[in-house]
Amino acid sequence: MALVSNVLTQIFITLIAVAGVYVLTGLTGMFSLGQAAFMAIGAYASGLLVLRLHVPIPLAMLLAVVLAVAVGYLIGYPVVRLRRDYISLVTLGFGEAIAALLNRMTTLTGGASGLTGIPRTVGLGITAVSAAAALTLVALFKTSKYGRQCIALRGDELAAKAMGIDITRVKMIAFLISVALTSYSGCLYAFYMSYVDPTGFGWKRSADWVIMVFFGGVNSLTGSTLGALILSALPQMLRELLNFRYVIYAVLVLLIINFRPSGLLGEWELTPANLRALPGGIKRALSRKRRGAE
Amino acid sequence: MSLQILINGLATGSIYALIATGFALIFNVLKFSNFSHGATMTAAAFTAFFLVSQKGMGLVPTLLAAGAAGACIALFGEFVGFRRILKNHSSATYFFVSSITLGTLYEGLVTIRVGSNFFNFPSFFETPTLDLGIIISTSDAIMFLISIAALLILGYIIQKTRLGRALRAVSFDRDTAQLMGIDSTRIIQLTFVISGVLAGFAGVFLGIKYTLYPTLGSLVVKGFIASVIGGLGSLPGAIIGAFLLGVVETGLLSVLGSGYSTIATFAIMLVFLLLRPQGIAGSNVQEKA
Amino acid sequence: MKMKKLLALMLAAVMALSLAACGDSGSKESAAPSQSGGSPSSEAPSQGGGEGGEILIGCLQDITGPTSALGMSVQAGAQAAVDEINANGGIDGKTVVMKTYDTKGDVTEAVNAYITAVTVDKVKLIVGPPVANIANAIKETSESYDVPVMGFALDPACQMREDGSVYKNMFCFQPSATTQGQIMAAFALKNGMKTFGVIYNQENAYSVSLLAPFTDELAKSGITIDNSLVVAYGAADTDYKTLLQPLVSANVDGIYCPNYTQQLVAIATAAKELGYQGKLICGLDAAPSFNTTYGGDCSNVYYINNINTEDATTAEMAAAVEDKVSAVNKYFLGYDVVMIAKQCLEEAGLEDNAALVSAIENVKDFKGLTGTLTIDPATHMPDGMGMFMYTYENQTPVMLEEFAG
Repeated sequence: MALVSNVLTQIFITLIAVAGVYVLTGLTGMFSLGQAAFMAIGAYASGLLVLRLHVPIPLAMLLAVVLAVAVGYLIGYPVVRLRRDYISLVTLGFGEAIAALLNRMTTLTGGASGLTGIPRTVGLGITAVSAAAALTLVALFKTSKYGRQCIALRGDELAAKAMGIDITRVKMIAFLISVALTSYSGCLYAFYMSYVDPTGFGWKRSADWVIMVFFGGVNSLTGSTLGALILSALPQMLRELLNFRYVIYAVLVLLIINFRPSGLLGEWELTPANLRALPGGIKRALSRKRRGAE
Repeated sequence: MSLQILINGLATGSIYALIATGFALIFNVLKFSNFSHGATMTAAAFTAFFLVSQKGMGLVPTLLAAGAAGACIALFGEFVGFRRILKNHSSATYFFVSSITLGTLYEGLVTIRVGSNFFNFPSFFETPTLDLGIIISTSDAIMFLISIAALLILGYIIQKTRLGRALRAVSFDRDTAQLMGIDSTRIIQLTFVISGVLAGFAGVFLGIKYTLYPTLGSLVVKGFIASVIGGLGSLPGAIIGAFLLGVVETGLLSVLGSGYSTIATFAIMLVFLLLRPQGIAGSNVQEKA
Repeated sequence: MKMKKLLALMLAAVMALSLAACGDSGSKESAAPSQSGGSPSSEAPSQGGGEGGEILIGCLQDITGPTSALGMSVQAGAQAAVDEINANGGIDGKTVVMKTYDTKGDVTEAVNAYITAVTVDKVKLIVGPPVANIANAIKETSESYDVPVMGFALDPACQMREDGSVYKNMFCFQPSATTQGQIMAAFALKNGMKTFGVIYNQENAYSVSLLAPFTDELAKSGITIDNSLVVAYGAADTDYKTLLQPLVSANVDGIYCPNYTQQLVAIATAAKELGYQGKLICGLDAAPSFNTTYGGDCSNVYYINNINTEDATTAEMAAAVEDKVSAVNKYFLGYDVVMIAKQCLEEAGLEDNAALVSAIENVKDFKGLTGTLTIDPATHMPDGMGMFMYTYENQTPVMLEEFAG
């Protein structure tokens, strides 16, 4: 039971970060390879505020998210007006710089030994509620004015601009929302693990999140969530696979990109209307297949 | 800045230049950032290490093997990761995910083969240092010369040969080039081959300098930064940016020490983007229709 | 539109509320594992004492990931000891079974692996990792259970809180970073070195933890190292030559390099290419297979080791595993710790986990292959355990002398 609740908690924490990546990558078509660095900022800032300044935990988390968003603004400012390639390259460098900074500021962050003694106050309940709230917020954002503008500029930036969409502003909003969500997941991580060290926030983790989003379906929040659930639970079930895990991931994703580019679920979203339409849809799909077989 | 540090910087810069050009070539032709470039370097260098260097052969056979391995890997990547996307005219975001996934795949395969162990190339040179008034390490000098030679040959191919002209035409406008009778798929394959050869060389040089290990490819980020400073997709820009980065980074390292120099390099890139986003060479920075 | 805004506001409020509730539900959460932790300890003995006739121990190591070479060596040594114990009739007539859990060198994975070992498989004890970050990650979780972790994390913070109290289940079975740093400094002074430089990996907890003990010990003899001669590096750094430049220009007698083997190889190469004439004083990681990986003449390399290859038994065992194990000294640490575990299990019996922990706490004068070991109950680390200084003659290791802790 302890194992199940532990794994679930970790999955929920990942899910919040992936919700952020969905806003950035799924909705807006931008890629951040330094997203995990914002998780590190959230974790370290909230942990330090509590340990060193004895700030109440909820306030510390809030301040940490605000700090991460401020840093995100500084990073985003020069980049959102350029080609979308730049944001991946710049965030990649940013991730490296944050890791170096955390290692170097030994007296404050504990350096390579990490930050220990953070009170363990977060558990399954809080992470579950937070994940549900984060997903709902993102779902609402998707159907809001800004969300639709994001989707528009993902398809064709020039056309979106011609339609009068302020693309710089929309890109920035999407980036900052994703930063806020990711750094919040970092806060939860710190208060669940009670220990943070500078490893494990590199580009590899950020890339993992992007892969999760694409695995389930880059155009569908339901798909992305499903992708995160499957790909973060899988390694727990396949403990014995060791090194082969990454190869299997990679092959799966390559297959999906080549043969089903829209991901497992495509554009399908879990809404009441779609759910009601589901039985009929399956029937139609089945009969189509049967006809194909004949 | 002492002369010694300048020399160290140029030596490092020449390796960055190999990485940055390989990366910029692909960007130039397909307009996307190839994140599998780093893992290609690692995989090619490891192949050369096991097939050639471990059998006691020298630097030149090792480089040839690494170049060939890099070319094969890049060609494989083009076929598995990018061909269909290109054909379907899918959105550019798929290139990104494809390249990241390919990188994960190569790194995973290398890790399965070698675990997380690291390997050291046998020393290729009799005398470790050359005394030319100032002390220069033999390996640095040789690596510098080979890098420059490789870049000059590349420059000649692109500027003076029919193939090079075709490559430039495809990078300018793929569809039009196709209509003019250029087999653009062939040219794209050729680009991947060249980029793979450069990756192989860079991998071996990095391996000589810092030992060979499965995540060696992460150093590719230096090539990316150089490419951004130079102007994304511009070859001369990438080379200038790489040497500049090598010298500045080495200088900062000796003044600020480690850690802060990484941060300073990043800050320089950010400032560059703010003041001159098109980079030194001035490339196209806005999203094309 | 208005409805959505309202809903968004409500959700934000829910998030904030759930944050505010942190304290309450958090305490519930942390209480839960300790309850479930209680049951396995009462079930485990009945399982062990029943028909099975097996004792299950865990081995929590980095089998994949950046430090897997160390983890696999500990595992091999521990397995050798388990096989030997079983060949000699097991513990109280029961067969010992060791199950390995891979931490993948990742702190979250380590916690998953630990909880799996303790709650699902219900191991009696765990042979811990030689990596401080992993020990740091599991130490808080381990408080909720009664399963001792017999590890090798040099950093005292892995065993002790800031207030000086110990984590009840966390133990270290090799001399602390403090002892090792002091021994290396004492050795350098004894051999007439006067001026020093340091190059260390600031991104590696092990490297960082060895720095202060060395410089503090030198300071006692009135030797201070100028700040410009203490250089740090990280994974993103690519130019060891530039880093070493000031040290070589100052022509120091010795360069202290508490680093992993991989970086040591690169540093030794760079030092040679810069024409450095002095000595390199290295930690455990310059022990073989450093010499074969480096491939050149390493006569100027001095290093510390847990084992004494002059000892016949040790030399024989080391020769037998040399080709299979990359960190031979870690092999012996793994071997010794299982032998200690056997002694403690026999002493405490299989029924009582608290007695097992206290038996481990009170290990005294255990004669192992890595020296004579006494655990200090106040620190959960060895007390006064000695180590050996080595050098190479070209590429052959040569034992120089033993230093008391």
